[in-house]
Amino acid sequence: MARHLRFVARTVMVQDGNVDAAYKHLNRVLTQDGIIETVKRKRYFEKPCRERQRKNYENCKRIYDTEMARKIAFISRTIRTDPWVGS
Amino acid sequence: MFKLTCSIVNSLSTACRQASTKGTSFHFPPLPGHDSPLRWGGKKFEELPILHIKATYNNTHIQLTDCEGQSLVRTSCGTEGFKNIKKSTPVAAQTAAISAAAKKATAKGVTFVRVIVKGLGPGRLSAIKGLTMGGLEVVSITDNTPVPHNGCRPRKARRM
Repeated sequence: MARHLRFVARTVMVQDGNVDAAYKHLNRVLTQDGIIETVKRKRYFEKPCRERQRKNYENCKRIYDTEMARKIAFISRTIRTDPWVGS
Repeated sequence: MFKLTCSIVNSLSTACRQASTKGTSFHFPPLPGHDSPLRWGGKKFEELPILHIKATYNNTHIQLTDCEGQSLVRTSCGTEGFKNIKKSTPVAAQTAAISAAAKKATAKGVTFVRVIVKGLGPGRLSAIKGLTMGGLEVVSITDNTPVPHNGCRPRKARRM
């Protein structure tokens, strides 16, 4: 960010003097953009072999989590069509 | 190149403003090109003094500069009398912020301030809280944590 886009990127205005809410909003935006995670990871050097292992693990975890969320949403659905129509 | 980025930023900001007027009320800061009617203490957004908070893992530095960059006030946890491990606490950051805000900044006649936070340290939030406790009005919070696009190689991983 440094010199370019100063006070444009990663900036949050404080509404009605509510500094805590503004900081929470900023934190949420940064986490969603993946900046906080990147900064924590780049604190120490991550060897390329560890990086490949981590990426592989995150891919598998993402696939597993989406599939599990799909199954849970399917099982816990409330609006169901009546299978025994007419009886 | 700069004009291209400016036009992109302008179009993005207008789109976002139109999108966010009805939803959440966190609007974007007034861009230097646009004339916004917002004034804080009679000053435009670009003329407000800037307060830098550098929150490292071992310490927290607070420096108040004017809009050009001339330094007015500089404090840190070390100047408040904390030593070694006590500097890397949120309490120390809060005391440093209170002393910087309440004593030195108001003595120079500063009320409204834009905050720039750098680093993910323990004193990141408590320094901002200390500023408001000390009596300074925070107008906006910017995050300027340095994110390298794979530049310098950091130190090796700790094995504990």
